[in-house]
Amino acid sequence: MAKVAIEMVKKAGVNVKQLLELLVNNAAAELTTYYYYTILRANLIGLDGETIKEIAETARIEDRNHFEALVPRIYELGGKLPESMVEFHNCSACPPATLPKNAKDVKAILTVLVEAERCAVRGYTNICNITAGKDHRTYDLALSILNEEIEHESWFSEFLGEGPSGHFLRRGETSPFVSKFLK
Amino acid sequence: MRTFTEKELKKYDGRNGIAYIAYRGKVYDVSASYHWRKGIHQAMHRAGCDLTEALEQAPHDPDLLEKFPIVGELVN
Ligand code: HEM
Ligand SMILES: [Fe+2]
Ligand SMILES: [Fe+2]
Repeated sequence: MAKVAIEMVKKAGVNVKQLLELLVNNAAAELTTYYYYTILRANLIGLDGETIKEIAETARIEDRNHFEALVPRIYELGGKLPESMVEFHNCSACPPATLPKNAKDVKAILTVLVEAERCAVRGYTNICNITAGKDHRTYDLALSILNEEIEHESWFSEFLGEGPSGHFLRRGETSPFVSKFLK
Repeated sequence: MRTFTEKELKKYDGRNGIAYIAYRGKVYDVSASYHWRKGIHQAMHRAGCDLTEALEQAPHDPDLLEKFPIVGELVN
């Protein structure tokens, strides 16, 4: 436990218990998304599906990275992961990104993907809002994750024809923003 | 339409499976929402309350409420 680190955050007026709950719930969202996206990716086949597979895979790997990056901060702040993985799954900040009934409906899969990313964008925006100027390290982490979530949202949204976002698929290493927390 | 006082609304905080929230005088039933399980939203908000002011700070618009049934009005 990082005693002084916690003291600083508390002194700045952050509700650490609530923040920890948010961090755990979002870590759960990341790991469960990683799992559910595995199934979505496997079903992204055919002419339409294969075009999306690459970005779905990048988003999947980066979400796992987000889980990895969040965990140390949870323990630093005196929190922990639930003992039971079932409990962990069920506390996720976002609903399961389950495969649509018609697994061949690529547009339906895309909708599941974009909604999962939008839930994440809202969640990390909130964590940024409550830590800004108070808990610098959590803010830096949440902002780094947010940067990647916004790109994930953009990739899927463009395929749904919602308009241009200016982003291209990931070139080079995954998690350009979060990687500093993974070293 | 059914009317709720703040005190009556408090009974529907999600603990007994029913989660109602008030926004701009209207009471919404959010019991079916994943995001309001056990009446708790984002570890920060509790059902059974008037959340008009809280929603101003939310990272989303009030239109997310539209898909939930209105079950009454909040009165003073
Ligand atoms: C800091 C405060 C809040 C945060 C961080 C927050 C966050 C979120 C998030 C991440 C979602 C999921 C949306 C998505 O999937 O894209 C959501 C949905 C929702 N929120 Fe909030 N919210 C906050 C405050 C509120 C308040 C005060 C109300 C009530 C008046 C509210 C009502 C709703 C409703 C009705 C939904 C839709 C639920 C559903 O579709 O099942 N939120 N919120
Ligand atoms: Fe993520
Ligand atoms: Fe993501």
